[in-house]
Amino acid sequence: MEILSYGKINSTNLKAKELAKKGSKPWTIVLAKEQSSGYGKSKKIWSSPAGGLYFSVILPKSNIEDLQTLTILAAFIIAKVIKENFKLEPLIKLPNDVLLEGKKICGILTENVVGKDVKFSVMGIGLNTNVEKIAPELKNIATSIKMEIGKKVDNEKILKQIIGELKHQLKTISD
Amino acid sequence: MKTKIKISKKSYDIDISEDKDGLIKVKIDDEEFIFSENEAGELIQCDREKIEAGKERIVNFCPVLIEKEIKSPIAGVISEIFVKEGDRINIGQKLLTIIAMKMENELVSENCGRIKKIRIKKDQFINAGDILIILE
Repeated sequence: MEILSYGKINSTNLKAKELAKKGSKPWTIVLAKEQSSGYGKSKKIWSSPAGGLYFSVILPKSNIEDLQTLTILAAFIIAKVIKENFKLEPLIKLPNDVLLEGKKICGILTENVVGKDVKFSVMGIGLNTNVEKIAPELKNIATSIKMEIGKKVDNEKILKQIIGELKHQLKTISD
Repeated sequence: MKTKIKISKKSYDIDISEDKDGLIKVKIDDEEFIFSENEAGELIQCDREKIEAGKERIVNFCPVLIEKEIKSPIAGVISEIFVKEGDRINIGQKLLTIIAMKMENELVSENCGRIKKIRIKKDQFINAGDILIILE
C-alpha cells in the first residue's frame, strides 16, 4: 500500500484518477490535509477544511456487475469503524453518505472508467474527523467526530482501519 | 530518449520520443512504431502510413470497425454526453457519464469511427445492454 500525502490539493479523486490513467497500482492512496476543490456526485462541492480525513484509493479492477456494491461496502465499513472506535451510532444514508445525529459526517464518491469491462476505479472518501468548525451554510447538515465526542481522533489510524477493511471485503467479493 | 537493448546476441538501438501531437514514436533500429495513449492510459499502436496519408488522424488510428453499436455496460442515468453525431471517435475516448448508485461511470469507447446516431439524451435512464451510440 503506497500512501501519497499532500498538504493541500485540489481533489484527491482528481489526482488518483490521473495516477490510475498513468498506470499506478491498485491500493495507491492519495491523502490530503485539505482539498481546495473537493467534490461529490455531479461535482457538488465537498467542504474539506483542515482536520478532516480526505483520501482516494485506486481500487483493484472489479467485475462490472460488482461495481454497484463498492460504495455501499465502503459506507458500511466507515460506519463500522466509527461505531467501534468512538461508540457512536452512525446511520448510513444509502448508498454513499454516513450520518451522525442526522448530520452528514462522511461522503463517498466512486468514479469508474468503463468500456466493456472496468478500466479502473477510484474511490474518494471525505470523513469529517477533526474538523472543528463547520461552514455556516452547512451547520445544520454536517458535523464531525471531534464535535460529537469532544476530542481529537487519530486520522492515520482511521485511514488504516478503513483500508484494511476494504481490502478484506473486496477480497471476499472477488473470491 | 535513446538506449540500446541486447536480446540474445543481437543489439538494438531504441529511440523513444513524443511529437507535438502527443504521439509516442518508438524507433527500433530503422523501423518506427507509433503509439497513442487512450483515456484509460493504454498505449494503442497506430498505423504510420495511414496517419501520413490523411489529415484526419483519429479515424486512421482504427484498424477495423469491429462493432457498430456501443452498448451500456451498466444501468443508470446519463449525466453528461461528451460527443455528438458526426464526431469521429477513437479507442479509449471519453463518450459519456452514467450515474449509477451515486457512482460516476465514465464510458470510454472500445472502438473507433464516426458517430452516426446518438440514441440517448441527458438525464435518460438506461439499462445494461441498451444501445447508446451507433457508429459508421
